[in-house]
Amino acid sequence: MTGDAGTYVYAVARSAVECPDGVGSVRTVAGAGLVAYVSTVPLAEFGEEPLRRSLEDLDWLSVTARAHHRVVETVAAATPTAPVRLVTVYADDQQVRDLLERRRDDFLDVLSHVTGRREWGVKVYAGHSSEPSATARGGGDARKPEGGDAHKPGNGDARKPGTAYLERRRAGLRGREQVRRQLLARADHMHAALSALSVASCRHRAQDPHLSGRTEMMVLNGAYLVDEGRDEEFAAAAGGLGGDGVEVRLTGPWAPYSFTVMEAR
Amino acid sequence: MSTEAPRLRIAADSETVERDLTRLVLTLVELIRQLVERQCVRRMEQGDLSDEQIEALGVSLMRLDEAMSDLRDRFGLAPEDLNLDLGPLGTLL
Repeated sequence: MTGDAGTYVYAVARSAVECPDGVGSVRTVAGAGLVAYVSTVPLAEFGEEPLRRSLEDLDWLSVTARAHHRVVETVAAATPTAPVRLVTVYADDQQVRDLLERRRDDFLDVLSHVTGRREWGVKVYAGHSSEPSATARGGGDARKPEGGDAHKPGNGDARKPGTAYLERRRAGLRGREQVRRQLLARADHMHAALSALSVASCRHRAQDPHLSGRTEMMVLNGAYLVDEGRDEEFAAAAGGLGGDGVEVRLTGPWAPYSFTVMEAR
Repeated sequence: MSTEAPRLRIAADSETVERDLTRLVLTLVELIRQLVERQCVRRMEQGDLSDEQIEALGVSLMRLDEAMSDLRDRFGLAPEDLNLDLGPLGTLL
């Protein structure tokens, strides 16, 4: 391969299967009894320097992520698969072969770990109806005292708007904190219950409402590696955890992204 | 290796920039205001403020709150627009 193209790696598996296009047409590189799914990509787009800029471009990123995901899902549907981190680019096929040789045991461990298992995602949202302070605050009451009087604080007036204001804030903050604690405890409990049904589990950072496009607070963003035979049991358990102002969203099955991503180098 | 000119990624018309900058500044001001407010509430709970001090602080904070909502109105911002995700500490508002 020459200096202006690189090898983009999607995933590693034990066998080669048919695959749709990803960021380019997909082929396989074999080595050490493993198969890497790759595309040849122009370094003008996927080189280190252009990537730094591209990764800040959300449109580019979403197209690329979707292409990556499409390949990984197709392979994972057919054979146990270790997805590789998004935009992992090597200089050429030989480097990929070297990687397969060097990390052979790690890949095989990962692949046998995910064989016969799928990843499920569970996101739990808490509606903000349970959080009265955020909206009550700054509304009618807190701003009642009309300008003039409040100018002379603590002048012996029976009305103490400042004190009343702080008291209200205190009640609001305390209630909010309590609700938050309860929600977090409940999320821990849910995660434990779901982990008990899975082979492996992990908690991702809760997504910012801007990204998830929802206004509710995300209290749990979990990933669970579940034996294929226990899918239904798992789904039923997840469904049963909702209610009470808490919404549970089950997603999947996914390729085992959360349980296979290895540092490429 | 790349001869492409860097792509323009931000549509930076002056109106958007002004609004975003205003929002950033107001968010920071609100963050500080909330921190002071929470500190006051805490000290009030601990009982190391006199009644006069509580009242004076309360009035000041209340006026700042009012000033903030006036500013928000003027720039067409909702309270949530000034929210911050403080990670493990939850959100600001």
